[in-house]
Amino acid sequence: MNLQIFVNALVNAALIAPPAMAFSLLFGVLKFPNFAIGGYITLGAFAAYTFNVPLGLPLPLATLGAMLFTGFVVWLAHVWVFKPMQDQSAVTLLVVSIALTLILESVVRLFFSADVRGFDIPLERPWKFWGARITREQVEIIACAVVLATGLHVLLRHTRIGRAMRAVADNPMLAAIRGVDAAKITALTTVLCGAIFGLTGVFAGLDLVIEPLVGWNLTIPIFAAAILGGIGSPYGAILGALLLGLAEELTILVLPSTYKIAVGFVIIAIFLLLRPQGLFGTAEIKK
Amino acid sequence: MSFHMNRRSFLAASTAALLVPTILRAQESDIAIGSLTPNTGGGAPFGPNITAAHKRVVDAVNAAGGILGRQVRLFQENSETNPETAVRAADKLINVNGVCAIVGTFSSSVTLGIMPKCQAANVVQMCTSSSSDIPVADEKGLVFNFQPLSPIWGRAIGELVKSRGIETFGLMALNNDFTRSMMDGFIEIVGQDALLNEPFYYNAQQSSYRSEVTQLIEKNPQAVFVPSYVTDFTAVYKELYRQGYEGTVITTSLSTGPQFKEAIGGAAEGIVHGFPVPAINSPAYKEYLVEAGLEASDSVQHPFGTAGRDQLTTLLLAIEKAGSTAGPDIAKAVWEVTTGEGKTTVYNLADGLAALRAGKEINYSGASGSIEFDEEGMVLGRDFQLSEIRDGEDVVIERLEY
Repeated sequence: MNLQIFVNALVNAALIAPPAMAFSLLFGVLKFPNFAIGGYITLGAFAAYTFNVPLGLPLPLATLGAMLFTGFVVWLAHVWVFKPMQDQSAVTLLVVSIALTLILESVVRLFFSADVRGFDIPLERPWKFWGARITREQVEIIACAVVLATGLHVLLRHTRIGRAMRAVADNPMLAAIRGVDAAKITALTTVLCGAIFGLTGVFAGLDLVIEPLVGWNLTIPIFAAAILGGIGSPYGAILGALLLGLAEELTILVLPSTYKIAVGFVIIAIFLLLRPQGLFGTAEIKK
Repeated sequence: MSFHMNRRSFLAASTAALLVPTILRAQESDIAIGSLTPNTGGGAPFGPNITAAHKRVVDAVNAAGGILGRQVRLFQENSETNPETAVRAADKLINVNGVCAIVGTFSSSVTLGIMPKCQAANVVQMCTSSSSDIPVADEKGLVFNFQPLSPIWGRAIGELVKSRGIETFGLMALNNDFTRSMMDGFIEIVGQDALLNEPFYYNAQQSSYRSEVTQLIEKNPQAVFVPSYVTDFTAVYKELYRQGYEGTVITTSLSTGPQFKEAIGGAAEGIVHGFPVPAINSPAYKEYLVEAGLEASDSVQHPFGTAGRDQLTTLLLAIEKAGSTAGPDIAKAVWEVTTGEGKTTVYNLADGLAALRAGKEINYSGASGSIEFDEEGMVLGRDFQLSEIRDGEDVVIERLEY
């Protein structure tokens, strides 16, 4: 049982960490918490479903298709919705992003109804070790999350584009003066984050069920992990996801399971009150 | 701001006020009935069948001359299995269409959600919902439920699985009134000693069900019972399978419909599920199959379509019996045409109307069951059936007849 708790927490974290990193990255560049991530993830899950089941593509190809599609949609949302409103306050943009998630969900409902769906791959029995159980699919999800985190690290720290992304996140005006094309970098970031949300949609579809609320159900844990790690800090988001996963798993040992859903909210509340910059974020000085 | 009314506007307003009853009388020539069914959302597999059954009964009675010399007009609305949508639809049905009854609501939250509006307007409700709160909330005695309350489901499923020789159980349920009280009914039958874990509840829309499943199967029970809806059960079942559970998984048939089988595929093999079914040997059920153009089948039994037929048949018989479309009169007449012994048994609307018009007392026996109501308007009994998924199909393994 005890080891199983850690396995469960690890799989939860692998599911939450990549979108939490993308959420943080997006926040860094766009400067508002984008709650449309729920809609993006749902869209990714349904795009992959469409490629995989009605069109019959193998899941890896369907996943790639879903990532491209979601990347495109997130970029489109940026160009059509958020860019024209960029002078508005962060609160306004946050409300708009919630509206966008509702619109995306409704569009999915319109085309796919609220039925539950699954990918065209059989469920697998687990491998057992020291009393714990894990499936090959879960190992793959964890491996993907690790590769993605490493890739993002390399991108942000060791490439020109990554440096430009960090520069735009840090101070867009100064970056522009130094010759960084902020608009291009922002667009690139939205596509990259969109692809990650698409991938999360696929993971969520594998782990839970494909239905219009699948993304929304992950939004609070993702937001909590990002806040815990320090919003705007992609590395913090990984640790945030791990700690959140563990907190959720341990809660059930001491509290009824129905309170589990509140863990994310409690973490958000505590950190916003006591350490709004999270574990890894830097405190912002308001002038 | 002050409000002035001159002579001219006073006259105009008075004339309009005098005209209103005329407009209402014009609408009164037809008997207006609201059909509020779950055509999309969680109830989508059943809603269209209920709608179609309502429509067939109305079309037939209108072709035969109507009720009380008036035509029956059915106003159809989709509840989307969502209480908010349903309340808006009920508002329209009551205030714009002037219905005397709203029939066909499916999920308990919808039935309960529209109840205050229906009670305030003296509108009769007929539903297939299972929450024990329904008779409590129905203060005026205007609600008739064509489906047993959920503790009865739990007891029936408990009886059926107990006879299969399963001795130890793990229990968890979705956290809502329907599934909680089903679990209580189940425990009454299998007994507290057969439970290997303290029964617990989970919320719908969680981001994972891993820790719940780990807790459920920790002591490796012979069977687990998970009262649930299809969305959460699909995620929970995936997790049960992935955590290597090899005992029997038991749930309600609401959770294991075609969507579930499609999403889970071959791994659904061996799941045992139960729910109330029509009395397949009753003449009314056979008539229903003919009316709906369906073949008799052991595995698919249309529990909600048959209930839809019974709702509208009961309602129209009650209106005929009451000679009125006032809610309280209809409600009183519902018992008179469905419940009690020593009456002429009828199996369809045409026979029922003929018997009533010949001055006989009738007892309508329906396609979904014998349709007898207790003093709270809850149907007294339905047959139950336990099925097992084998090769992707439901195979009947046991029946409990009422």
